[in-house]
This record gives sequence, C-alpha cells and structure tokens, in this order.
Amino acid sequence: MKNYYSIKKTALKVRKLIIDCISDAGSGHPGGSLSMVEILGCLFYNHIKYNPKNPGWNKRDKLILSKGHASPGLFSYLAMMGYFEIDKLSTFRKFGSMLQGHPNLQCPGVEFCGGSLGIGLSFSIGDALAARIDNSSRRIYTIIGDGESDEGQIWEAAMSAAKYGIDNLTVILDRNYVQQDSHTEDIMPLDVIAENTNTENSIYTIKNKWKSFGWNVIDIDGHKIEQIDYAIRESKKIKNKPSIIIANTVKGKGIDHMEHNPNWHGQAPQREFIPLIDTELNSQFMIAPSIIAGYSSDLQNKIKLCEHAKADYIHLDVMDGIFVNNKTFDFKKIKELRNVTNLPFDVHLMISNPLKYIMKYIDAGSDIISVHVEACNESSFGEIHDILQNRGMGIGLAINPDTKLPEWSYNFLTSLDQLIVMSVQPGKSGQKYIETTHAKTQSLLHILHKYKFEGYIEADGGVCQTNIGQCFIDGARIFVGGNAIVGQSNVQNAITEFRHTILYTIKKLLISQANKIGGSKFIEKWINLHNKEKSSMINNIATDLGYM
Amino acid sequence: MESNLTDMRTVYGKTLIELGKSNHRIVVIGADTTNSLKISQFGKIFKNRFFNVGIAEANLVSIAAGLANAGKIVFAGTYAIFVPGRCVDQIRNAIAYPSRCNQKGLNVKLVVSHGGISVGADGGSHQQLEDIAIMRTIPNMKVLIPADSVSVSELTRIMSEKYGPFYMRMARPKTHTIHHTSQKFLLGKGIIVNDGSDCTIAACGITVKMALDAARLLKKDGISCQVIDMFSIKPLDNDILEKSARKTGFIITCEEHNVIAGFGSAVCETISNTYPVPIKRIGINDSFGESARDSEMTLLFKKHKLTPEDIANNVREIRR
Repeated sequence: MKNYYSIKKTALKVRKLIIDCISDAGSGHPGGSLSMVEILGCLFYNHIKYNPKNPGWNKRDKLILSKGHASPGLFSYLAMMGYFEIDKLSTFRKFGSMLQGHPNLQCPGVEFCGGSLGIGLSFSIGDALAARIDNSSRRIYTIIGDGESDEGQIWEAAMSAAKYGIDNLTVILDRNYVQQDSHTEDIMPLDVIAENTNTENSIYTIKNKWKSFGWNVIDIDGHKIEQIDYAIRESKKIKNKPSIIIANTVKGKGIDHMEHNPNWHGQAPQREFIPLIDTELNSQFMIAPSIIAGYSSDLQNKIKLCEHAKADYIHLDVMDGIFVNNKTFDFKKIKELRNVTNLPFDVHLMISNPLKYIMKYIDAGSDIISVHVEACNESSFGEIHDILQNRGMGIGLAINPDTKLPEWSYNFLTSLDQLIVMSVQPGKSGQKYIETTHAKTQSLLHILHKYKFEGYIEADGGVCQTNIGQCFIDGARIFVGGNAIVGQSNVQNAITEFRHTILYTIKKLLISQANKIGGSKFIEKWINLHNKEKSSMINNIATDLGYM
Repeated sequence: MESNLTDMRTVYGKTLIELGKSNHRIVVIGADTTNSLKISQFGKIFKNRFFNVGIAEANLVSIAAGLANAGKIVFAGTYAIFVPGRCVDQIRNAIAYPSRCNQKGLNVKLVVSHGGISVGADGGSHQQLEDIAIMRTIPNMKVLIPADSVSVSELTRIMSEKYGPFYMRMARPKTHTIHHTSQKFLLGKGIIVNDGSDCTIAACGITVKMALDAARLLKKDGISCQVIDMFSIKPLDNDILEKSARKTGFIITCEEHNVIAGFGSAVCETISNTYPVPIKRIGINDSFGESARDSEMTLLFKKHKLTPEDIANNVREIRR
C-alpha cells in the first residue's frame, strides 16, 4: 500500500492536536476522535479526492462525518491537509471560531453538519444519488458511530441504500464499543441480544445485521492502516450494492487512561497531563517478525502465524550473497508472498547496488524498503530516496554494528521513515545482541533530533525478552524478532510477551516522568485517571519502583 | 372569482411535472404517500429523479438534504402530521442549519398535504395543528400556506426558483378557487382579497375562504371587512398588516392550527412592534382534533368555532 508511514506519522500528530485543542477548549470529545484517526488518515492520503485550496472543487469526493462530536479528529486532519492553518485549532469551541463544537459548513472541508446522530448516512445517500443522476464519478465516504447505530434512522437509511443499490458510497462504522453513558453492549447491545448466544456465530452480530440489510460487509481492525486501506479498496470494487466497513477500534486509542473508558467520551484532558500523554503517544511501537528465522520453505505459513499473532509488520531479510555471505530470497519471492497477507512488508535489503534493483522491490509489493548505508553513497541513496518518496513507499536506511551514521545521510533524515540499527552482524540469524548497541542508539538520538528525524528506529538483531525493554528506552520503536519470535514454538506467546515487556517499560517511564513533574501526589492523580483495573496495576508498578 | 372546487395535490403534481421538464435539477422524493400526494406521476416521467424511501420520514428529509447538498432542487413531502411531526430535528439540523456563504440552509422544499382538522375521518392523531409553530421558529425556513390551487401552482414555481428551505402545507379536501390565474404572488406579500375599512381579517389556507364568507355576512350588517390572504407566513408581510391595522383599528386572524404560536401569534409579534391594535386569534383552541367524515366536516369546524359565522361573530363582538 501507499503512504503507510505518511499516514502513521500524521496520525501521531493528529492525536496530539486532538488532545491539545480539546484541552484548550476545556470540553470536547477525545474518545471518538482518537478511535478514528487511522481511518481518516487512510481516507485523506489514499482515497479521497480533495483540494484544500479549492474546497468546493466539483470533482472532489465527499467525507461525511456523521458522528459529528468527533470534530476534533476531523478538524485536526483538515488543518494537517492544508485547509487552514494549524494554529486555528486553538480556537476550537470558542466564541467567533469557524471550528464549532460540532462541525458546520463555515469550516472549509466540512461537507455535513454532523452532531445530531443518525442523520449522516441518509444525507450521504442523498449525495450519492445526486452523483448518480449527474453521472459523476464522485464517491461519498461516511463515518458513523456504534452508539449512533442505536438511532432508528440508521436502519431506515440502510434499507434505502440497499434498495437503490448505492455503490458510490463507502460507509465506515467506527466500532469503538463505548458511548456516552457506558459500553455499547451495556447500553444498547449491537452484537448479542440473547443470553447464551455465542458472539462468533451469532446471527445477532452487527456484522450480520448489516449483511441482512443487503450490504457488503468488511470486518477489520480499524487501527491497522493496511487493513483499512485494503477494505476501502475492496469497497470500491463492489457494484450495485452498498458497502460498510466495520472498523473495530478502541475508544481513546493511544492514551491508556482513555482507552475503552466511557469517562473519556466527552471530557477534556487537563493541561498538566499533556506531557505524559505526549510521551505515551510517542511510545507507540511495532513488532516486526523476521520470517527467515523460520524454515525458508515454510514462509507462507510463518507469515500466517505472525498475522494471527497480531504482528505489525513482516520483516523480510533480503540477502544477495555479495553484500553479505548468505543468500535468502529476492523480489520474486516477495511478490509471491504478497498475496498471503495485507501486513506491511518491511523489506530490509542486505544487497549491494540497491539502486539497480529498487524498482523490482517496489513492484513486488514492498511497503517499506530499507537499504544499507554501506551499500550506498549520497548520490545513489538520493536517487533511491526520491524513487521511494514519489511512490509513497516507506524510506529506510540501515547501519551495521560497526558503522557510524555517515554525514551524507544527515540531509535525508527529515524525510527518512525508519532507521535500522543493526545489533548483530548482518547475514545470519541466531546471533547474540551486541551490547554496545544500546549506547550507540542513544547517541544517535542527538543527531536524529538535530536533523528533525520524525521516523522510527528499528532494533534488528538478537532482540529478545531480556533486552527489548532497554532497546525501547534507547529510543527504538520497531523491534525485529527473528529467533526470538519466529523461531519459537508459540509465535503468539512470543509476540505477546514482547508487547508486555514493552508496555511495562512504558509504564515505568511514565511513572518516573510523573514523579519528576509533581512527585508521588501527581503520580497518584495520574493513576486515578485510569479505570480501576489499570490504576491498581500501575499503582503496583509505582510501589515496586518505590515512588508510592 | 370563487366558484369551482379543485384539488391542491393534483395541481401540485402537475406543476412539478411542468417545472421538471425545463429544470433538470428538480428531484422529487416521497415516503409511501406519493400516490396520495400526486407526485408518483413525476417518477414515471423522470425515472432517475424520483425516489420513494418508504415510511421513513427522518430518512426522507435527510436524503433530501443530501440531494440538495449536491446541487439538486428537492421537493420532499408526505402528510403534514409526519413532516414535520416525525423529523423536526432532521429538518432543523440537516436542512435549515447548513449554510455556505450567502446560501442559508439547503435547497429543500418540504411540501406536505393533510394539514389541520380538515383531514377529517383519519382523526386527531392525523390532524396536524402544530406545524406552523414548529416550522416558523426554525431559522432560514420559509413557511407557506396556500388558500387554493392557483396559489399551490404559483408557490410551487416560486419555491423552485428561490433558493432555500421552504415548508408548504396543503389541505386534504378540495378547495374553492380564490385567486384568478393572473394573480401575482410575491414571497412575503399578502394579497387583499376583499377591500374594506371597518375591520381586518387576516387568514391563511382554507380559512381565507371562510374569511371571505364572513365578510359577506358582515356586509349585510353594514360592516366592511378587509380580508387578506396571508399565504406567506414566513416571511410575513409586516407592511400590509400595519397598514391594515392603521386603517381598520383591529385584526382578526384565522388559521387551521393551534392558536398558540401559530399564524395569529406571528401577526401579534409584528403588530406589537409596528402599530399595536387589538387582535383576536381564531383557530384551534389548544386542543386536538377528532374524526369527521366529509359530510360532517361543518360539525367539526363548528365545534372548534372555526366557521364563517364564528368569524363574523367575533367581529361583531369586538365592534360592540
């Protein structure tokens, strides 16, 4: 898919903007804004035709945000995409602002005055029917909420769209399981209404409800960019039938005390917690299993296992037998594997003369391509960089344990998406982590910061349970697991344990930051923002660390 | 001028077809009452510009809003009890509220039939007596109540030409023709249908005919009535009301609607600002209607003291 990292990076900025503008306003809806951040990112980068300099452009597609209370999410994107200056967000909900509590047409880019729930889908159908009358290729993208689905009008609209076979409309249900009062399944269950009914097979699921209304239904993880992108692409292919993507999301995604927590449906975060929230948002990380650690004949199966275990990327180590002694596979294999999964292919080219082959790897279906500084110079990497950038590919550089980041690379750091810091000599799996890499990664941070690197550091080589926490502290956010994941008999356990260790590390960092801000009193105040279960868990960690 | 009876809905349906031939932006949408509203024929002629969404009024007006948002001139309608009754919020937030530059609200024309107690046999649950109150308080919304089929035809044309959200309420029964086909209709301008100097009777919808009959009764008493057809409830013709108030010294208002917050109240609002005179509001006195067959219609109107004789009595009482 295109623009994976652009979406990811923008999503992070948007989350910060959401928190900032709601906090500034003193009220607003963070939960449902945060849950749809990746959805909006995919729409804006890869699907919606729009022109921020001419918002009324007659060839544009339309984004209808039916769940209008999530306006901070929409406004933040509109600002990021160039409809207006980012600093306008500070006027949100204030007197005289074009950024009303719920969107209206004063704000460029807004197509629908959402807020009163249940209306936007019908409205979208009207817009879609008009496009049909006009023989226009316009597409309507509509986001509805799950709490919103309590409204009867949603189902009136569902019937109409099926009756008229509306196929120029993609509806996305932000299924975040929380509404104002509490959890959706407690207030008005969308999935199961009969006791003793197995959710998986129940005819009462929201998915089956939409199916029975005559819709094409695509069920996805609404925070996985590659899944959202895939689902939207699929929805466009369906003819004579309306399509809905059920995006399973997390209310308040990215901020632990807001996640799944009804209290944060419509509450503004206090300013004093923003430094902690920023740290938390900067702590998002990805697990990237390297499949060559498995038996190479069994790569497809390994990918399936990793996907099932909720890996974030598939890390593909390409070795040519020249740059490194070993040889693994090349672009032909990658092309073959592309049909197995939608997970982003994080392709690590341990090859000489990468410029010569770069197009082959793009065409094979890579999402992120990293080349070695040892195999490039300023000019050849410059070309590679531009080729990748023009095609919306993730741009990566890799450095060997005994290599320093060359000065020629500094000019590329601003637009670099990831930097692989090798902690073993490349070319062979099963090696031990080189301990000096911790210090090396930490010292790199200074340069990266200086040159405004906004990408992610990838720790690659010998990463395991015992060192992954420290790798995180060093600044790494992507963790390649060879033997430690794919080499294990239970891949799912291995990935889950990686995650747990990192999450624990994040909590420790947050507690110590909270302590620096305001001592144990402030730690306690922060802990109390969380739900019961989480607060007692964090409290235990804080006690163990001696802060409480 | 008043003579033969004609059906408002038939004229409405025919007018839409005439307008639809030359104006391809016109789209018609209904909710399982399209035969009754005489708009289904439009769909037979302009297949791709007609939609029937079933018994789903919230959906009806919201789809209308979406069509209008994409540049269509949308005529949406059903019975008055359901629109606005079932979908005030959708009308407010999806049609009236969205505004761009100088375009206030979206270009949707809500045209309904079966307003007031003249619905008859269907009974109180189906007799809309609150719609003027509801619709005239929504910003950007214009409210029209035609007195006859000539008005229906002209007002339908005006709505198709004038940007913005409108509400037009028609009556179920056939109505007497009040206006000559050459009559000019202007938005926000009342029409004096009987000139007089002793009292003013401002009426709308089918009560215009009642007011004219009352004027005829009063003429026998030597009282000369100024009868005004106030088909444009919003915008309201403040000038004609003020002039008439100055000329006649008091005003009687007639409406097939609750006297609370309806047309009479709108007249009070403006007259209190311009030239305060006594005003007597005649209409439904804060109650619901009830069933009555067409042959019993006079009984129903008598019960609510809404007949030419009642209007005339009110005039006599005030002059006493």
